[in-house]
Amino acid sequence: MLLELRGVSRRFGGLQAVADLSMTVARSAIHGLIGPNGAGKSTVFNLITGVIPLTTGQIFFKGDRTSGLRPSEICRRGIARTFQATTLFREYTVLQNVLVAAHLAAAPGLASALFWSRAYREREQRARERGQALLDGLGLGSVAGRVAGTLPHRDQKALALAMVLATGAELVILDEPMAGLAEQEKAETTSVLRRLRGDGVTVLLVEHDMKAVMGVCDTVTVLDHGLRIAEGTPREIQTNPAVIEAYLGAEEPGA
Amino acid sequence: MSIDLLVQALLNGFGLAMVYVLVALGLTLIFSILEIINFAHGEFYMLGGYVTYYVYALFGLNYFATLGLAIVTVGLAGVVAERLIFHDLRGKALNAFIVSLGLLWVMQAGAQLAFGVLDKPVPSAFSGIVRMLGLVISLERLVVTVCAIVLIVGLYLFLRLSRPGRAMRAVAQDADVAALQGVNIEAVSALGFGVGCALAGGAGGLLAPLFAVSPAMGALPVVKAFIIIIVGGMGSLPGAVLGGLLLGGVEGLGTLFMGSAAVNILGFLMVIVVLLVRPRGLVGGA
Amino acid sequence: MAPSSSKAASPPPAARRGAGAPAAGVALVALAAATLPLVTRDSYYLDVATTILMNLTLTMSFRLQVSTGQINMAHISFMGIGAYASALLVTRVGLSFWATLWIGALVAAALAVPIGSVALRVSGPYYFLITFAFSEVVRLVFNNFLEGWFGGPSGLVGIPKPDRLLGLAFEGKLELYGLMAVLCVGVALAFVRLEYSRFGLTASAIRQADLLAETLGVDVFRYKLTTFVLGSFVAGLAGVFFAHFRQVLHSSDFGLEPMVLLVVFTVIGGTGSVWGPVVGTVLMTIAGELLRELHHYEILVFGAVLILTMLWAPEGLVALPATVRRLLRMRRSKDARAMGVGLAP
Repeated sequence: MLLELRGVSRRFGGLQAVADLSMTVARSAIHGLIGPNGAGKSTVFNLITGVIPLTTGQIFFKGDRTSGLRPSEICRRGIARTFQATTLFREYTVLQNVLVAAHLAAAPGLASALFWSRAYREREQRARERGQALLDGLGLGSVAGRVAGTLPHRDQKALALAMVLATGAELVILDEPMAGLAEQEKAETTSVLRRLRGDGVTVLLVEHDMKAVMGVCDTVTVLDHGLRIAEGTPREIQTNPAVIEAYLGAEEPGA
Repeated sequence: MSIDLLVQALLNGFGLAMVYVLVALGLTLIFSILEIINFAHGEFYMLGGYVTYYVYALFGLNYFATLGLAIVTVGLAGVVAERLIFHDLRGKALNAFIVSLGLLWVMQAGAQLAFGVLDKPVPSAFSGIVRMLGLVISLERLVVTVCAIVLIVGLYLFLRLSRPGRAMRAVAQDADVAALQGVNIEAVSALGFGVGCALAGGAGGLLAPLFAVSPAMGALPVVKAFIIIIVGGMGSLPGAVLGGLLLGGVEGLGTLFMGSAAVNILGFLMVIVVLLVRPRGLVGGA
Repeated sequence: MAPSSSKAASPPPAARRGAGAPAAGVALVALAAATLPLVTRDSYYLDVATTILMNLTLTMSFRLQVSTGQINMAHISFMGIGAYASALLVTRVGLSFWATLWIGALVAAALAVPIGSVALRVSGPYYFLITFAFSEVVRLVFNNFLEGWFGGPSGLVGIPKPDRLLGLAFEGKLELYGLMAVLCVGVALAFVRLEYSRFGLTASAIRQADLLAETLGVDVFRYKLTTFVLGSFVAGLAGVFFAHFRQVLHSSDFGLEPMVLLVVFTVIGGTGSVWGPVVGTVLMTIAGELLRELHHYEILVFGAVLILTMLWAPEGLVALPATVRRLLRMRRSKDARAMGVGLAP
């Protein structure tokens, strides 16, 4: 068990966005989080990554408590995420974006930034090489020098994923990684996710494309109105009456 | 320290603050519609003062008519400034800041060249004192305060009841949504800027008989206005009034205990406290 | 959204990072500074040049903070803190300028820690306003409180020039110019190094998307506070020099007017590059001197220049070549479209 949520809830004024949620994410799994719009999925991500504070409950990662920590500290512990609205450093090149994320891999302070020792320069060089290799692996190798803001949508999404991987995170949280992608591109993303799982990276994702979710996830948790209403394998979820009812009037699960 | 003295000091503070609230309302109106801070706002105040000097003090027109003229003229000047300079800077706060700085220098140097550097006194429109509830208030100050309140109420009614006023509120709330509903953003921006400057011009006309006019007269009121809208909440009109009352009260009481130069520090300390405890301001919204 | 043309857009200056060009740039500045005294010993020109160099240290350090997205309106206050600290330590305690140069800067940096920590609790326009409020509080303290120490509204006078160092006297304009040049070049070198290092890369990333940086493991608060304190240290250095160069201190030296000039110099030059402040400060100071004869017209022209530059070249003068290229490209594509030629797929 890599990630554990215990009795987590989040209240915004009068609105209960997440209510008493308990769930676990197993190591090296691809775990899906689904639910109708407004079910609280993005809020759960924001809670896990420390972007907003919990109202009640606790979150544990690798056995240590992470709820209450700053987002940067949580990232340093091994959790990284993408955003629903693809967020990048738009003025930077693709490679520069990855280098910023690889901050953890070569973290100098003010002193080495001022004095550029041989060790510093070697670390920087290695970071660049690793970054380039990461980009190559995701099909972005040829655009490493392009400014991120000028990339087409699918490349931007791939870059966001590359940045998350560059942090060296063990748990990768993806907010709608397939949004706006064509079928072929979704299939590519799915194979990348499977490759990650093979490399020992755990994936937690939110996605609206049911076919993709059912096709790639090992476990699926279903949220509705901030409550967990079901959890299990894709097969179990698809035949769960509570799930089907939650989606009636919103969208049809399955094909 | 008698209660009377305390109340007197408070009232003096309030009365003056109401005029600064006018300036603050203009500033916050512009901020809420265009999302920029106009540093040259004090220069429109100054313009109102000079219109009052030339038309009322020199030409001899009735004071209230002059006030109306000042409001309208400065309002038009504001519209011109918006059309020529600010309309493309919607939302770009840093650039707008620099541009408004440039405008400030242009207007101030222009005023120095056109009107001369020296203070020009404006005769009082009203003399005498009024005794009310055991307190002594100068008639002039009373009239100024009442006029300021009238203008504030007028603005409130304008924004609430008139079509252009409601359009301005819609844009202030969410410009994109307002545009989708057919509101002409360009027109509203120009009008909003004009109204904001008009308020400043009116304030300048109101305070001219009290403090004389000079090219640099806009510096202090605009700083007060900033303090007021930070305390009250940027973009909030009731916040500006509340902030003004608070500032007026604090400064009014402050003058009893420390020199008038040192009193200025209180406003800034208020700003720091508010920004730390409640950055949105006392009444600040989203 | 963007056309998937194979031609990449020209990256903005901040995106280009390498080690060669910047070092050459600093060498150029050092060279220019070194050759000036060979061209003229006129005390007026040396004064202007010294002021330019002093302003350069201030704008470069201001720009360091701007690179993380902070518009710190209290920057000049730390110059003042360094100035008054050194003046008092030399005149009251009898320390040597060569010690107070560093002590003054350290005092400024030390005070920057609590002030910065407080100010950084908010961001954006609120940060701008809170630092402005701080700067007014500091100025009012210098002006109205502790008159026995700061001199009150009349100011602090009788500050001596730097004492001898290794036998070299610093009484003349030339020596003072040389001192400021060394300080400035040293500061420039440090900032250029920072800019083109991982630190600079992360700082600008914070400006572009601070939440993203935070979730990628960057301790945004620490970065911002570091630039705040480092910038304040350098401002303190400049302040100490200012105190012993002008020999008189007044609270208005550290108020809104000079702060605003710093902002203008930096923004007009262009905040996207470490060279922006250099271009902006040098050009605008020289322009100011040339226009000085025109008195009120000077300010008028200055203001008009500001307005026009911000409207036509919003990224600053340093980005002018890129701006011009962009405008030409837009014009060309407009003509191309008018002639019925579509964009290449």
